[in-house]
Amino acid sequence: MQPSLQIKNLQLSLQNELLLKLSEDVIGGEVLTIMGPSGSGKSSLLNWLTGTLPSAFNATGEVWLNGLNIDNLPSHMRHIGVLYQDPLLFSHLSVAGNVAFAMRKGNKKQRQEKVEHALEQVGLKGMGKRHPDTLSGGQQARVALLRLLLSEPKAILLDEPFSKLDTQLRVDIRQLVFEQIREHTLPAIMVTHDHSDAEAAQGKVVTLQPLGNQDAR
Amino acid sequence: MALNSNAHQRNKVDFFSRITKFSPHFLLCILIVPVLGGLLSVLLPAFGWAPAMEQTTFGLHGFKALWQTPGLGQMVMLTITTGLVSTVLAFVITLLMLSAFFNSPWLNRIQRIFSPILVIPHAAAAIAVGFLIAPSGMISRLISPWLSSWELAPNGIFPHDSLGISIILGLTLKELPFLLLMALGVLAQPELGKKLKQQHQVALNLGYYPMTAFFKVVLPSLYPMLRLPILAVLVYASASVEMPLILGPNTPPTLAVAIMHWFQDVDLNLRIKASAGALLQLCLSGGLLALWLIAEKAISRLSHAPLTNGKRQYCDAIWNKVTILLTLLIIAFIGLALIGLILWSLAGFWRFPAPLPEHLVLLHFESAIAQMGNPLFNTLAVGVIATMFAVIVTLFCLEAEQLSAKPLSRFTSIIIYLPLVIPSIAFLFGLVWIQQLVHEQASFFNVVFVHLLFVLPYVFLSLASSYRRLDPRFARVAASLGTTPLNVFLQVKLPQLFAPILIAIALGLAISFGQYLPTLLAGGGRISTITTEAVTLANGASRRTSAVYAIIQMVLPLIGFMLAWILPKYFFKSAYK
Repeated sequence: MQPSLQIKNLQLSLQNELLLKLSEDVIGGEVLTIMGPSGSGKSSLLNWLTGTLPSAFNATGEVWLNGLNIDNLPSHMRHIGVLYQDPLLFSHLSVAGNVAFAMRKGNKKQRQEKVEHALEQVGLKGMGKRHPDTLSGGQQARVALLRLLLSEPKAILLDEPFSKLDTQLRVDIRQLVFEQIREHTLPAIMVTHDHSDAEAAQGKVVTLQPLGNQDAR
Repeated sequence: MALNSNAHQRNKVDFFSRITKFSPHFLLCILIVPVLGGLLSVLLPAFGWAPAMEQTTFGLHGFKALWQTPGLGQMVMLTITTGLVSTVLAFVITLLMLSAFFNSPWLNRIQRIFSPILVIPHAAAAIAVGFLIAPSGMISRLISPWLSSWELAPNGIFPHDSLGISIILGLTLKELPFLLLMALGVLAQPELGKKLKQQHQVALNLGYYPMTAFFKVVLPSLYPMLRLPILAVLVYASASVEMPLILGPNTPPTLAVAIMHWFQDVDLNLRIKASAGALLQLCLSGGLLALWLIAEKAISRLSHAPLTNGKRQYCDAIWNKVTILLTLLIIAFIGLALIGLILWSLAGFWRFPAPLPEHLVLLHFESAIAQMGNPLFNTLAVGVIATMFAVIVTLFCLEAEQLSAKPLSRFTSIIIYLPLVIPSIAFLFGLVWIQQLVHEQASFFNVVFVHLLFVLPYVFLSLASSYRRLDPRFARVAASLGTTPLNVFLQVKLPQLFAPILIAIALGLAISFGQYLPTLLAGGGRISTITTEAVTLANGASRRTSAVYAIIQMVLPLIGFMLAWILPKYFFKSAYK
């Protein structure tokens, strides 16, 4: 069966005011881009997908992941990985520790080898013992990506993940992320402000309008 | 004339700035001199040098007398177990609650339930707990006779059980809200709190169960911020006298209680032994601190590998249920204790298994209040003077920090906590020795001064963060308009800080109201406050009068906090848009 993330008839509202309506199918390896001004409900959409929608919001509709309805599952059982604006690396762990944290449990030696191999693949060979704060912004973004992928998610959400990187780095990291998504045939949803992100994703683009909410800036 | 007023102006500015810049040194003096002086004056008599008693030969007879005290080993064991077990329990339950309710609205609700407990004096809490677990207390009434088949109050072991379980229960219930609110305070810090919440969410996204995510991701960054409060709790729990006095066994009591009795004995020679005991207490509390720090290192080393082993859950579902159950139990226990206390204060005739008294009367309140005039006046007078002084010194120190544009030295910041991390029983006796030498008759002044030592750290803690958060641009604008530093301080900064200052005052008053040992010792028994009366009444006199005193002990600080909460809504409103 082809991996897929389906949003069925989502209606998201805040205090009885409709924020957005959405019905989309994303198949493995594809990136759906969601654009729109702030206040249009982009981040609430991601919160709904991860099961962390604040109680002030109201949502109807279903989300299906690989043919399973995951509406009622808590965050930690959804197998949806998120890449945020900030790398959010754990500062009490080394770089290798951050990556190992995400991996399934298993033989200690094999896990170690896998971490080293993964770091090498993204150009961070030999940096496993370092503290995450000593890495550059681009290196931190790579570690965050590795951490995400090694947790073997079934779908990926990208929450403006490149917006804090400068232009050249942005192009490189973006390319790396999309390559990995295709390679792992993961369905992905990206929320962004930036049109170049949307073009690079080469997928469908949905632009949200601030529905019914005239005050939204 | 113009020249004259100019010079006058400059002098005034200089005077304010000079006082302000001097204030941190003053703060250090009033903390270091009494605490270290007190420690020294315990040390010398412990080794036999006490000119006041015409003993000037150094020797170990104080310690010999101490070793020969029957039951010393039991005292030491009781001190160690109650201190350590209650601290560990309070800490573990704090962690369980934080981890189970980390992202839930329940955390705020629990915070709201627990905050008032924080300002309840230890003595009042002990009285309430004692009533609840006593053989004829609320718990035993609720299960009798249908479950226990007790028709008459049984011969229970609680409170005053020889193992110190009652003490542990009382201390744990009192320290748990403190640690929990400290932790929530850390999580409420804008940057760190947000980062920890996001990292917790990252861990959830990676498939970690919520409680495991807390322990593996949040705790390692949170713990260093909690270390100081925990150590303060550990020292307090191992050396306090109120809880063991009201809830503990008598034969033998904890070391701190025994020392207190020796010091108050008419036989002055026992003071040498008491000083030796104070030194032993210092070693015990110090030993517990060392043990905690070693255990901390060991746990941190042992947990290093499991942190990244990829295991997503450790029976999280069970732990979650256990924590919810424990939380409900604790809340029910606290609720029952308070209800029981109120019922006792109003009870007319109250037959044993009946869950409610037959009549409610105001008699106990009326007769207690009729006799309460003097203690109440002392409580308020000591509290107000000590708190006002503490608030003024704190404000000057914080202003000095801003005037000189550099933070207080690390040394000063640590010294502020000195009275909290040194067992008070160890330095108080020494301090009282000195005070008796200097001015024996000024017992009121002595009490105020000793209260100041305990009020200052809390007032400082409470004011520092708001003062440091003040937007410096207001002061700069005012200064650029030609306002003197004194007027910037009085007219710009203080009004903006109205609410935090009131909170600090309420906290200072609450701390002062609750002091037992300092009041008793520094006042030489001549200054009675609501708290000293309550403790005296708790062991003996009528349960009903004791309940009235405990309730008044709880109400006084609450009034302070309510005023601190209400007043800013009417005054200087513009500062809090």
